[in-house]
Amino acid sequence: MAGSDLYVGTLDLLILKALSWGPMHGYAIGRWIRQTTEDVLSVQEGALYPALHRIQRKGWLEEEWGMTDSGREAKYYRLTPAGRRHLRSEIVRWRAYATAVGAALDAVTA
Amino acid sequence: MRRLFRLTRPSTEVSRDLASELQFHLDMRTQELIESGLPPEAARDAALRAFGDLRAVEAECRGIARQRVRERERKANMVGIVQDVRYAWRTLRKTPGFTLVVVLTLALGIGANTAIFSMVRGVLLRPLPYADGQRLVFLQQPATRAGVQNTQFSVAELADYRAQSRALAGIVEYHSMPFILLGRGEPLRVQTGVVSANFFDLLGVRPLLGRGFRPGEDAPGAEPVLVLSYGFWRDRLGGDPGVVGRHFTMNDHVHTVIGVLPPIPQYPGANDVYMPSSACPFRSSETMVRTRVMRMLTLFGRLAPGVSSEQAQVELEGISGRLHAEYADAYPAGDGFGIRVTPLQAQLTAQARPTLLLLLGTALFVLLIACANVANLSLARLVRREREMALRAALGADRARIFRQLLAEGLLLSLAAAAAGLVFAAGGLGLLTAFAARMTPRAGEIALDGPVLGFALGLGLLTGLLFALLPALPSRASVVAALKDGGGSTGAGSHRLRSVLVVAQVAVSVVLLVGAGLMLRSVLALQGVDPGFNPEQVLAAKLDLNFSKYTTNEQFQQFHQRLRERLAAQPGVALVASSRGYPLDGRRSFAFDFEIEGHPLEPGRARPQADFRVASPDYFRALGIPLVTGRLFTDRDGLQTPSVAIINQSMARRYWLGQDPVGQRITADTGKTWTTIVGVVGDVRQYGLETDPVDEMYLPFDQIPLREGALVVRGSADPATLARRVKEEVLALDPEQPLAGARPLTEVRADALAPARLTATLLGMFAGLALVITAAGLAGLMAFSVSQRTQEIGVRMALGAARSEVMAMVLRHGLRLVVIGLVAGAAGALALSRAMSGLLYGVTPTDAPTFAATAAVLVSIAALACLIPARRASTVDPMVALRST
Repeated sequence: MAGSDLYVGTLDLLILKALSWGPMHGYAIGRWIRQTTEDVLSVQEGALYPALHRIQRKGWLEEEWGMTDSGREAKYYRLTPAGRRHLRSEIVRWRAYATAVGAALDAVTA
Repeated sequence: MRRLFRLTRPSTEVSRDLASELQFHLDMRTQELIESGLPPEAARDAALRAFGDLRAVEAECRGIARQRVRERERKANMVGIVQDVRYAWRTLRKTPGFTLVVVLTLALGIGANTAIFSMVRGVLLRPLPYADGQRLVFLQQPATRAGVQNTQFSVAELADYRAQSRALAGIVEYHSMPFILLGRGEPLRVQTGVVSANFFDLLGVRPLLGRGFRPGEDAPGAEPVLVLSYGFWRDRLGGDPGVVGRHFTMNDHVHTVIGVLPPIPQYPGANDVYMPSSACPFRSSETMVRTRVMRMLTLFGRLAPGVSSEQAQVELEGISGRLHAEYADAYPAGDGFGIRVTPLQAQLTAQARPTLLLLLGTALFVLLIACANVANLSLARLVRREREMALRAALGADRARIFRQLLAEGLLLSLAAAAAGLVFAAGGLGLLTAFAARMTPRAGEIALDGPVLGFALGLGLLTGLLFALLPALPSRASVVAALKDGGGSTGAGSHRLRSVLVVAQVAVSVVLLVGAGLMLRSVLALQGVDPGFNPEQVLAAKLDLNFSKYTTNEQFQQFHQRLRERLAAQPGVALVASSRGYPLDGRRSFAFDFEIEGHPLEPGRARPQADFRVASPDYFRALGIPLVTGRLFTDRDGLQTPSVAIINQSMARRYWLGQDPVGQRITADTGKTWTTIVGVVGDVRQYGLETDPVDEMYLPFDQIPLREGALVVRGSADPATLARRVKEEVLALDPEQPLAGARPLTEVRADALAPARLTATLLGMFAGLALVITAAGLAGLMAFSVSQRTQEIGVRMALGAARSEVMAMVLRHGLRLVVIGLVAGAAGALALSRAMSGLLYGVTPTDAPTFAATAAVLVSIAALACLIPARRASTVDPMVALRST
């Protein structure tokens, strides 16, 4: 599947982060990831949807159908309280991870 | 942003939603690319490329989404059930009176059924506790024209059937006798099963310790060996693990213990020990082995593989036909000899079956009445709860949800009732087992085991379902609608149903009351039966002398004579007599054929036959058996004087109607010796109060040497003192002589009544229970109807109806239901009571007084039940009633 060059869990984390601003539909989430990561994390856009459904199944997202500004019906995702808690702990974990890996890569002695 | 709520999402919607979600993405992406300058076609292609494999994504998402929907539904259901139960619990706790009444009513019904079912299962349903027990058969040799069900078999007949039958894989013999066992302090009277060596193998019983009999151990002259029953080994020998190999003396021979049986029920009777047939001095005696007409053996067989009991019957009939032709002397044509093969299980339970099935039917009826009552109560409650239901309906609960709510309540109630019912059943089980023991040797197998628990649980679930379904029935189509408009429109339908339920309750109660009434009349009739003897102040005991110690008739007679003399000298003892048995002792008497002097036997006619009994001179006076004509025995009637006999009135009527039998002579050995009839005494019911007296002939105790004996003592001393004196005197004469079961004859007589009385008591209890439940149901219905009609009653009273008229109106309404039920019930009772005719005595199943009494009891109880609501109706204040619209 697409997204193979992403570190495990990165896509989930980005989705949760995207939704922390408020409910969004899938397309908007994808666009936000593209724009904020400046296309560095090049993902097959389709990979977003299985990830969304998986996270929803875990109970971190809720769906609700609504109208877009242009009057089209679309499926919106929203963070559940559990999802918000999970996002917070994932951010902490990711930072610790990135710091640790960064420190290792910066090391000057073997 | 407008939001559309969708609460439920069946899985077909999943695909649709998913397709439109992905379509939306592609459309938006294409739009974005067009805006950045691409032509529409290229924009579309680029969007698709950026997306990746559309089909694969869609499939993956659909799988995940469907799983999610399923999980959510499951969770919602679980939550719903927990909620239902919790809500039901709270509701029931709010109405403790209703809950208690329902649980108790159902518990009584379920308890009664469980207890009775445990009997039916233990006795009738459970397979015999033997390997392949359903292949075992019981053999009988009836002599139908002589009126004998089973003459049993002689040793010669056993040999013939064994040699010729192919349908039976094996035949074993059995008889049971008391012997005296010496070798551990006090002499013990042991009931001994005398069996062929293959007995335990054929039944499929493996000994717990040691081994069973080996082939050849029943051959003449074989070393005497013993197999002990589990109970005897545990209780009398302290469960000694080293018992195998120990020696005991019986009949002057040393017997070696070779095995101990496992703790299984013993059929056909419970014995203390078992010995091979060669060890029994009677069975192995010369005459017994050689004389074809000396029939004392009970036979069992095991059907050969693939052979049915009917096929075995056909084969044995052929063999018996050949035997009848070959040994015509042994099978007088007039006696109508035959052979019968019956499955052992049916044979063992034949006596108990009708009673048990009657009780089961009765218990089921009681449960039906209980269910009707509970349904009735819950209907009334449902109508009262209409507003609550309406509220729940308004809040979005659908019919299924309301039904589920009722179901939760029903199951909660009925499972509580099943638990309480099990407690009731366990409490009554000991009593019922003792009851069944009077009718079948299988009583020991009655237990509250797995299937019985399952039965109770099943009944509980069933009643719970009924509880939920019945109230929903009349208002099924309209429940939500009717409830929603908050009115009482379900009232009419449910009221009709409730009336029907009450009518049915009354009808079933009538059936049960009639059954109990008939049984009660039977018991009264039995109690009124003159048994032909006077049991007051009489003690009876069995006294079997040691066969090997008292070898001559003189020794035997001397023992009895000295015992009688010593006992008669005791204070408080009036009369002492020796005999072979006493009335109602359960011992089958010997029957013998005879000829009357001057009346040669007509060929083809059954030979005259009578039971014979032996009695010492005071026997008749001690038992209060009246002398009709002639004389009683005296001390001079002995071995040296001419043979004499006393006959009973039945026999006198049959052969000497209108003549005096005294002085007539009869012979039992075709004229070699003659016996003179010296007297006629009254008939005695020897075999049961319900069994008509048979022809009987008494012979002087001193002229008939029998080691199996009994003692009858009349005295003013209390029974316990009498029993102690008898035992002391017996031991004083012979310290090795045990005495078995000295009992007052009044107790023996009461025992003979016990099965009928217990059946009557049980039926009476069930009927009483049914009556109470029905009365409660009727009172409840009337009270409810009055409360629903308060307004109408108010109007009537305002228009001038007197209070007595209002009361009469309510009473009339109630009694109309009762009368309908009464008529239906009487019809049902007429049809059903015939089924119990075999259990009745002295009363027909259509006994008019019983039916009349039932009607009277029912109507008066019903009137009483209607009275309270009727009185309440008459105290309605018209003003209040009219205002409370």
